[in-house]
Amino acid sequence: MQVPQAFVITELWTAIIIIGAMFAMFYFMGWLGMKHTASTDDLYAAGFKIGAVVNGLAMASTWASLATFLGVSALILKLQVPFVFLWLQWALSIPLITLLYGTSMRRMRAYTPCTFIKARYGNQCTVIVALWMILVMVMYALGQLIGLGQTFEILFGVKYELALFISGVVVIGYMVAGGMMGASYNAAFQMVIMMVTMVVPMGWVMKVMGSSGWWFPPLAYGDMVPNMLKMIPTFFDTKYDFRWYFALIPAFTLGPVALPHLAARVFTSSNLKSARWAVVWFILFLGLLFSGTYVVGFAGNYFQATTGIIIKKPDQITLILQLVYSPQWVAAFVLAGAIAAGVSTLNGNLMAIAALVGSDILGILAPQMEAKKKMRVGFAVLALGGVVALLLAFNPPTFLVTSILWAFGLLASTATPGILLGVWWKQANKYALIVSSTICGLIFIVISPHVIKSIVVGKGVTAALGMSGGLVTIPLSFALFIVLSIIFNKMGWAPSQEEKAILDKIHGWNDYREERYNGNVWPWVVAVVCLAISWWGLQPW
Amino acid sequence: MKEKAYKKEILVTIVFIILYMLMGHTASLFVLFPGLQGGSMWGFPVHYIIPVLTGWFGMLIVAILAALVCNKLDDEIEAANKADETAAGKGGE
Repeated sequence: MQVPQAFVITELWTAIIIIGAMFAMFYFMGWLGMKHTASTDDLYAAGFKIGAVVNGLAMASTWASLATFLGVSALILKLQVPFVFLWLQWALSIPLITLLYGTSMRRMRAYTPCTFIKARYGNQCTVIVALWMILVMVMYALGQLIGLGQTFEILFGVKYELALFISGVVVIGYMVAGGMMGASYNAAFQMVIMMVTMVVPMGWVMKVMGSSGWWFPPLAYGDMVPNMLKMIPTFFDTKYDFRWYFALIPAFTLGPVALPHLAARVFTSSNLKSARWAVVWFILFLGLLFSGTYVVGFAGNYFQATTGIIIKKPDQITLILQLVYSPQWVAAFVLAGAIAAGVSTLNGNLMAIAALVGSDILGILAPQMEAKKKMRVGFAVLALGGVVALLLAFNPPTFLVTSILWAFGLLASTATPGILLGVWWKQANKYALIVSSTICGLIFIVISPHVIKSIVVGKGVTAALGMSGGLVTIPLSFALFIVLSIIFNKMGWAPSQEEKAILDKIHGWNDYREERYNGNVWPWVVAVVCLAISWWGLQPW
Repeated sequence: MKEKAYKKEILVTIVFIILYMLMGHTASLFVLFPGLQGGSMWGFPVHYIIPVLTGWFGMLIVAILAALVCNKLDDEIEAANKADETAAGKGGE
């Protein structure tokens, strides 16, 4: 059996035609989006007009990044089934955003969660939370851009720098043109490409591998399990203790809840009811894609175990399996799926950066700017964000290319408490947010293995992914925020009537009642539980 | 009417948070209660395939329920708002 150790396409023109046709479609939709963009509502929120099915597809597409095709397989090879469990809980992101604050903020026609932060806590908090979000979005965007550069490098066999430049210019061009309108319909189209390219070719690979479940790869590979267990008896072992699994909640469930590019997708919904139905479609589509990813990870392990061949570039397993078992044009088609995954997430990241800078921060610096100028500035910020990300990708600072998975913990430590408590508790205090967000964000950075190697909570991949650090700082951030809010409010710095009234309004009430969302008992309970969890996280791992 | 709708909003939110978390983190239950492990379904160990299914179809069912219940709750809040406005209008006449 001829097994390439890295992905190389020999039928280059086939790949160029497939990927070129795909990009022509992206540009066409970007152009249509540009034609329908006449206001900042259109630019940042697609005019609040996206229907449930398109939005469900776009939500899934924005969430599924290049890693879905190129990174997960390597991590499943390394961590095996525990990584599948880590990955699948990410489907909670959009449902929790929608349930906990998405529809509430949609009522106020927000572009990002910071639109709410500004109204609820004021300008200082907006700048702090927006800067944390921008940092995470830049890290996210860099990961996608670097991955796209590497994909184009593999495809064309040119130097990385040239591949990065070509991919950056091509990708950012259509994104800037289309705004959120183009991004939404492009993301929906990209999700269709991703689902087809992930699932259908895998069916063929499974058939050749001898599985009778080739007709539905995501769930029908059970007949390969006995063979797998003979070769790798520990493949399905849960491996870690309960604390490891519990640590998934703060870092990887609560982190993505504050991701502005995911929240923005909920905000684009045509109405609240449509947003909730979009979640249903999101889970259906994302479940199909994710389950396809698990099969690839399984098949990669199975391939290595049964053939004895070790693939030296495990992150390329999705593509290499196709080269081994399928014609070249199928492999090119799967490569197109990987590119679609990268560009859809990158588009979401750049749109979020544009809205955070062009609307939230600029709204503080120049509140009186006229609507048309605001839109032009928005387009300029979108383009500038793309160019800056591209320039950074040529020689990225080390801390910016730390795993995006780690950055989820950073976001959960800095932004999630402010958003969730701000929406559900009138006593949430702006000064408490500033202190807890800054302190816990800095502690999370310090106790990670990426900055000061002698001060680390946890070890190995658990610490590198921010799980052990997150179990300390995320509950601490919630507890600190609650306790400081109560103390500061007693000192006379309580939220104003106007700030508190926002809560009743975004929950749909046409009147104000002081007793709504205003108790202190449950916040105290949450604070005590969070402190206990934080202490648990500090125990030796 | 508004008091009832408010209490319902809080209850519905808590219930759906719990349901979503159970669906997304089913694997944790198999780790917490190792006695649940063992046996197979469709050829897979149950502690693998059940979390995969709850993380997809389980969550899908919860999302459908959430859409139905929360959309109905929105209508109730809207009705309560209108009833309040009507009452206020009558009081003013």
